[in-house]
Amino acid sequence: MGAMFDIDVVVPYLPDLASGLWVTFRLGVISVVLGVVLGLLLALARLSGTRLLAWPAYLYIELFRTTPPLVQIIWFYYGLPPLTGIELDPFGAAALALGLNIAAFFAEIFRAGVEAVPATQWQAAKVLGLGRLDTLRSVILPQAARLVLAPTGTTVIYLVKGTALASAIGAPELLRVGQLVALETFRPVEVLTVIAVAYFVLTYPIALAFMALEKRVARARA
Amino acid sequence: MTGELLLSVRQLVKRYGSTTVLDGVDLDVAAGSALVIIGPSGSGKSTLLRCIARLEPIAAGTIMLDGKFVASSERVGQAQAVAAHDIGMVFQSFNLFPHLTVLDNLTLAPRRVLGLGRAEAEARARDLLAVVGLAEKAEAYPAKLSGGQQQRAAIARALMMRPRLMLFDEVTSALDPELVGEVLKVMRTLSREGMTMLVVTHEMGFARDVADDVVFMDHGRVVERGPPDQLFAAPQEPRTRAFLSRLLGRDGDE
Repeated sequence: MGAMFDIDVVVPYLPDLASGLWVTFRLGVISVVLGVVLGLLLALARLSGTRLLAWPAYLYIELFRTTPPLVQIIWFYYGLPPLTGIELDPFGAAALALGLNIAAFFAEIFRAGVEAVPATQWQAAKVLGLGRLDTLRSVILPQAARLVLAPTGTTVIYLVKGTALASAIGAPELLRVGQLVALETFRPVEVLTVIAVAYFVLTYPIALAFMALEKRVARARA
Repeated sequence: MTGELLLSVRQLVKRYGSTTVLDGVDLDVAAGSALVIIGPSGSGKSTLLRCIARLEPIAAGTIMLDGKFVASSERVGQAQAVAAHDIGMVFQSFNLFPHLTVLDNLTLAPRRVLGLGRAEAEARARDLLAVVGLAEKAEAYPAKLSGGQQQRAAIARALMMRPRLMLFDEVTSALDPELVGEVLKVMRTLSREGMTMLVVTHEMGFARDVADDVVFMDHGRVVERGPPDQLFAAPQEPRTRAFLSRLLGRDGDE
């Protein structure tokens, strides 16, 4: 028997793993952007005070955060074509499912952030004649954004790691590539170790970026 | 000094649930005059200001500003609604926008609501900051300012909209005693320049010096109104007398 743990066996496959990492990165970016935009719209709908908007948003949020993302990914890949005629490749199905899923979490984070801005800020804006939308855009959301930095950062990291679920439908992302390499080399532990490091390299800068943002905000307000 | 009727409040009723906070308030304010409202806590004086600022819906009555309606429980036939920025308000807790510099606090609403360009808005802001003694603080964030400076910035922010009426809701109550004077000084200047003001305050010295009329409120009603000399020296109503003697008695202990 050779060495118990021989990381060198992975080296020939590094280009494959790098392309998997690139897919993971793109998957993460697309679903974060989709999730943040949709999450913000959902939060505003819930806060609108209009039932016609608040209720669908509420239903959406509860539906998507109470069912497993893995189920959603598989459903969007296999369930969407027969139901809607829309056919997506594994990457598209995963990006859509992950984005829609994380939007529900962003929506709740953003809603809590907006509600945490004191009501007196709304009042100060109102007596200056600012309308609801102007107030939201220039007074409330910038303050809410500072409040939600930490939970937003955590959720982004959670999502970027969560793209690994896309391996279930064969999207050629990092974990999927890793699984194939492991099958070829019979060295799952080594391959998974390299993959874990790759995920860390991808997500740790995100953590650092959010920490830096928080520090900058704290300095401006001190 | 004082002129035409600017603000008129008629039979204003405000309720929170089953509690009646304002119980048929009538109040006239002449253009250019300063009215100080005094009264025990819970008398409804702050609520009255908040109703005039349209921060609270009213249950009954009418509030008009120069023939335009501010709030009314009935449909007011032809009368136009007053523009929101015609009535400025300054709060006890300043309520500056913490994420914006003092300058941006001042220019935000004029640019969005009045459509002023950046240069014009900033010029107006710097003029007003000079008036309230904050010319050097334009680029500072509110958190870097003392309470008195924040409140002066808040007054300047309200003035940016060139309101026709200014409401001051206990604007010195949250300040350290040594900072009260600088805020009152700005308000004095403002009144001298002809701004119509409605001031809820516990500063009796200010009421005596600046007010054209002092209004005493209790239990959601206007009990008595008169020039400060008369109201402080010879209050007509027993409740006014009781309130003033309590207040002055407490002052004497300090």
